[in-house]
Amino acid sequence: MTNFFDPNRRNFVKASVGAAAALSRAKPAAALPWASSATLRIGLIGCGGRGTGAAHDCLRGNEGVRLVAIGDIFADRVASCRENLAKVAAEDPAIAAKISLDEGHTFVGFDAYQRVIDSGVDVVILATAPGFRPRHLEAAIASGKHVFMEKPVAVDPTGVRSVMASADLAQKKGLAIVAGTQRRHDPAYRATIERIRQGAIGEVVGGQVYWNQGGLWHAARKPEWSDMEWQIRNWLYFAWLSGDHVVEQHIHNLDVANWVMGGHPVKAVGTGGRQWRTGPEFGHIFDHFSVHLEYPNGGRVASMCRQIDGCEDLVAERFQGTKGATDPSGSITGVSPFTYQGAKPNPYLQEHIDLIASIRAGTPLNEGRQVAESTLTAIMVREAAYTGQMISWADLVNSPQDLTPPGVGQLGPLAVPPVPMPGRTKVDRRFGEG
Amino acid sequence: MSKVTSATSGCRLAASWLVGVGMLVATTAHGQTVTVDSIPGTLVRFELVHVPGGAVRLPGQTDSVAVKSFWVGRTEVLWDAYDAFTLSRKPSPRYSPAGADAVAGPSKPYGNPDYGFGHRGFPVISVTRAAAEAFCAWLSAVTGKRYRLPTDAEWQRAADLAATASPPVPIDEFAWHAGNANGTTRPGGSRGADRLGTSDLFGNVAEWVTTGDGQLVVRGGSWRDPIEQVGPASRRKQQSSWNERDPQIPKSNWWLSDGPFVGFRIVREP
Repeated sequence: MTNFFDPNRRNFVKASVGAAAALSRAKPAAALPWASSATLRIGLIGCGGRGTGAAHDCLRGNEGVRLVAIGDIFADRVASCRENLAKVAAEDPAIAAKISLDEGHTFVGFDAYQRVIDSGVDVVILATAPGFRPRHLEAAIASGKHVFMEKPVAVDPTGVRSVMASADLAQKKGLAIVAGTQRRHDPAYRATIERIRQGAIGEVVGGQVYWNQGGLWHAARKPEWSDMEWQIRNWLYFAWLSGDHVVEQHIHNLDVANWVMGGHPVKAVGTGGRQWRTGPEFGHIFDHFSVHLEYPNGGRVASMCRQIDGCEDLVAERFQGTKGATDPSGSITGVSPFTYQGAKPNPYLQEHIDLIASIRAGTPLNEGRQVAESTLTAIMVREAAYTGQMISWADLVNSPQDLTPPGVGQLGPLAVPPVPMPGRTKVDRRFGEG
Repeated sequence: MSKVTSATSGCRLAASWLVGVGMLVATTAHGQTVTVDSIPGTLVRFELVHVPGGAVRLPGQTDSVAVKSFWVGRTEVLWDAYDAFTLSRKPSPRYSPAGADAVAGPSKPYGNPDYGFGHRGFPVISVTRAAAEAFCAWLSAVTGKRYRLPTDAEWQRAADLAATASPPVPIDEFAWHAGNANGTTRPGGSRGADRLGTSDLFGNVAEWVTTGDGQLVVRGGSWRDPIEQVGPASRRKQQSSWNERDPQIPKSNWWLSDGPFVGFRIVREP
């Protein structure tokens, strides 16, 4: 079981599960003011359900933290976030004591992110639609803030390169970046994949990763909404905002693939389409992808994802090696069989515990490059299907592709990009190009 | 529900055959009446067992309460029926302050709430009680009959009749529990019938009931519980851990992110 529904969870424990070997840690920064018991001030950028949930996880997972600023493009989202946090606080005095929000620290508009960053916070949670992430991360790191950011962290190679640059700058500045690829903070995955990396299934020669499920929500258009507002409120269905469902959702499984294979793929070829979810309310993205990835050792990973109602669901990862096979969520068969039987803390909570603990210890986690690579892997899968061409990592990482629409900082008219067409769509495209 | 498994008892074979020739009533090996209902516009059928009224005492209570006769689902509600509900309605928003309602259907889950345990023929899991009640309201609306969740006392009445045998029958003979389910739900009714003619009242998935005081309670135990916690006395209140991993605030009205052992059974009023 690899999605957030987990049948084997046991009582969560707050103990940090430590840093994965694959993670880089920033150099210890001297005399961090928060290395002691000083309160870390948290700012939330992106006030939807996930952003609110991430802020809640940060607060309930840690002592000495305080949510002091929130921001969103839309005023109703800021209001509902405050309302929902107030409900949580009313039921939980410990949470109530960690929230200090006043009118002067709730920000609305396209520049809300900068105003949260500038409001005297130490840590920001980036939880807007993914298309905004590179710019928000850049601003946060430039201002010396630690970051928790939801996945994916970009929607195009231009954004991925920006995130990589920000991650490198964070490293130099001793700032933490933790990403919402929460399997990396799940001890069952960590214990299993550590064994795989040490050879428990021999050389990993192939695998299969899946996120097949039904369709997701959409918000019916209101007459007063501009094109831009309608697209942002339905961000799942526009590649410039979500990256398509393969990037927004299947990235979790592709991140596991890179983790197990020990790095990113070198090639991708595959197919996909928009067969069922064809109405204009669903923008221009695909509803299914099936792509093969090739890794440097020649190992092949089949990637499949679908958002179509009424079909068989499957969210899983599996890999085969020369000496065994694995479901990396907790089991290995073959010459070195293993079943994870340890504690199963909630990884959505654990990622925030690990982030804050690393800041306090003066050894900030930096998952920026790792999640940027996983994001680009998902973009690679998307581009293989969108274009119908063989996509190489070397070409893609340098592609000028930039899906950001002109005039993104204001609400107004915005045409829906065409549905990609294999054989015609080019990798090196700009917003609106087919 | 038209599929007859190898574990099906003779009485249910008879019931299924009678459905085929248009008769909708049969009797179980122990004398209870079975009827077959269907969901209009679908191929989904489900069986209900008649439960005679009587007095019951809930676990931990000293006083008895009287229960009138009712019909209870022979199995827990299966995905086949729940999917008909889901696919027939517009999806709800993930969260609405008004709660789950039956005008719209379940919200779209992010992930697969069946956990890959099995779908067709398997009991519904991961549902909130509000979602189970919305299903009952929808089923009542499309059939014109009165379906709802069992009350705590009704569930107890069925359980008492199901477990009563002389000499006693080991519960293992008709319950999926942690010792025999191998870590997943099992097809509805695949463990055989109890003395009432129902299946899976004990184990497989824990079942939502309604209580007089509004508490969220499941009965019977599940595939995840050791056998000693599965049976007519099993009664658990919802824990915060049941939706611990729902990563959003507010949490879903419809889905329990950590409730792969929580389902329900319906009753029909006479």
